[in-house]
Amino acid sequence: MIRLVGVTKSYTVGDQLVPVLKGIHLEVHPGEFVAVMGPSGSGKSTLMHILGLLDRPTSGDYELNGASVLHLPSNELARLRNQHIGFVFQNFHLIPRMSAVRNVELPMVYAGVPRSKRRARAMELLEMVGMANRAHHLPNELSGGQRQRVAIARALANDPAVLLADEPTGALDQQTGGEILRILQDLHADGRTVMVITHDPRVARAGQRILHMVDGEIVREEVPDEPR
Amino acid sequence: MNLDEMLRMALASLAANKTRAFLTMLGIWIGVASILAIVAIGNGGKALVIGEISGGNQSNVIQIVPRELVAPGLPQPGQVLSIDDSDLAITASFSGVESVNETFYGTAVVQSGDKSDNVTLFAGPADLDRLARFVVVRGHMFTAEDVLSHGNVAVISQSLANKLFGSGNPLGAIITLSGVPLEVIGVAQPEQASLYSLVMGSDNLYIPDTTCEDIFPNWTASEMDVVVQPGVDVQSLANRIVLALNIHAGDPTAFIDSSGLAASVAALVGKVTTILTAVIGAVAGIALLVGGVGVMNIMLVSVTERTQEIGIRVSLGARKRDIVLQFLVESMVITSMGGVAGIATGVVVSAALRALTGIPAFVPWTVGALAFVFSAAIGVVCGLYPAAKAANLHPVDALRYE
Ligand SMILES: Nc1ncnc2c1ncn2[C@@H]1O[C@H](COP(=O)(O)OP(=O)(O)OP(=O)(O)O)[C@@H](O)[C@H]1O
Ligand SMILES: [Mg+2]
Repeated sequence: MIRLVGVTKSYTVGDQLVPVLKGIHLEVHPGEFVAVMGPSGSGKSTLMHILGLLDRPTSGDYELNGASVLHLPSNELARLRNQHIGFVFQNFHLIPRMSAVRNVELPMVYAGVPRSKRRARAMELLEMVGMANRAHHLPNELSGGQRQRVAIARALANDPAVLLADEPTGALDQQTGGEILRILQDLHADGRTVMVITHDPRVARAGQRILHMVDGEIVREEVPDEPR
Repeated sequence: MNLDEMLRMALASLAANKTRAFLTMLGIWIGVASILAIVAIGNGGKALVIGEISGGNQSNVIQIVPRELVAPGLPQPGQVLSIDDSDLAITASFSGVESVNETFYGTAVVQSGDKSDNVTLFAGPADLDRLARFVVVRGHMFTAEDVLSHGNVAVISQSLANKLFGSGNPLGAIITLSGVPLEVIGVAQPEQASLYSLVMGSDNLYIPDTTCEDIFPNWTASEMDVVVQPGVDVQSLANRIVLALNIHAGDPTAFIDSSGLAASVAALVGKVTTILTAVIGAVAGIALLVGGVGVMNIMLVSVTERTQEIGIRVSLGARKRDIVLQFLVESMVITSMGGVAGIATGVVVSAALRALTGIPAFVPWTVGALAFVFSAAIGVVCGLYPAAKAANLHPVDALRYE
């Protein structure tokens, strides 16, 4: 259960205070599939960074599973990112010079999972996203769609309850994007909480709810007509 | 994340940029190698000098010299020296004394045809080669008969032979010393390449003491070499003999046990060498420092280059500690590898030096171990700032960094 109460975020640029999020109220229930849409610069990524514990709100409160996370020490935030949250980015963000399987292993390395178990689990995940035969390829030896599959496998390494995806299909063509969407839908079907930021209405309609953001605010919540 | 994992990660990331890693390592490598080489040369030089000065007297030989000889420079022929037959008799009368030998030395001029050379003249009994520490490499040493018969024979050092005869055969040639012809019967070389021979010059002439007395009737012995019987306390015997000789001479400082003198000179030279080694070592330490700065510089570059990677790692659950350690281990691996290579180079250089020059250069294992620990420590010190910089990046800024 994710709960944001009156979350704001502003940056100081020069001597000017630039508000980016202006009082976000949001609840996401376990197992929900939520899509976020909105024009460029409306604060979607900023919101996701706060949800993913990569950034702190300027004001407001953030509760994860009933407890505020705002005053947790950085080690505890790292543990939550490691165990509880999986990230998928538009630009994949695989670590170059590390093979696909090593990338997938990385969250488990930080979790202290022993090597043999780690490798087995990473292979299992790559299998699941259809990338087992490319396990030892470097990121630059993979296509965009393949990279995103590896990134999803990596996000799932420590079996997080929540998957946060920031424009996961943004850099992919229609068909490849469709494949990635299907994987996300499968993960949702398995009971995971999925939150997807997207500009693609087709992706957004896969959500149970679509949040429309404009200028740092959630202005509208939409329930798509025909869920999947 | 455990250390094993860190090491793998560090090695992988260094392997990704081998040339850079190697060049960075090279700075530490050169620094450590030069420090070790200097310590090795210092130690070897010290051992050589001390061995040379104090090793001159075999442990069972007491060297007694008149005080005048302690003054710098070599005595001129005819300079009044004060070892005479009564001194020899007194010394020989001590129990525990096996034999007493006189040796003469001084400077002289020898001639061969139109060539002449200043030489150091050594005169003594048939075992002068042992007392003056040389070995006859061609021909032979003069014998006890030569000594008895006041034979006009001479052994010359290799360098004197080269000067007088060039590449020709010196054996059987006639040289003149103060107008007296001598037949060259042997060519000698110092027992070991030594500082002593460097200081004393290496143009040496060795003749029987009887012959020397004939040529330079005014010379008296320059040194008394007392061979001590086995099992006798050399030092206390030496003290007693010197005391007896001084009482006989009526001067409490007429004679000196030069073995003791050698020891104190050796100690002084040892100290000087140690200080010199430390000073030059400190200069080499600057090379190491520069190497360390290079490591820090490259680590900073590496942090900047990998800003986005750091952001990704944080998003995957890396703690600050993991990021710090990642970069620290990396810089430690660089400097430790440089250290190991430097130690190996230092050892090889000192071995080569030993083989080529005879200076007993060596790297004590403690210095080697210290060098390793120190180079790893440089890795920590120089990696700390870049690592802290990496760990304190804001995750979002790092992720967005292009
Ligand atoms: N570090 C920063 N300093 C100042 N302003 C920032 C900073 N980071 C983001 N912003 C501003 O915050 C606003 C929202 O950015 P954000 O990345 O959340 O937008 P977005 O909705 O994800 O847009 P897009 O759809 O293009 O990804 C933008 O106007 C951006 O300029
Ligand atoms: Mg965005």
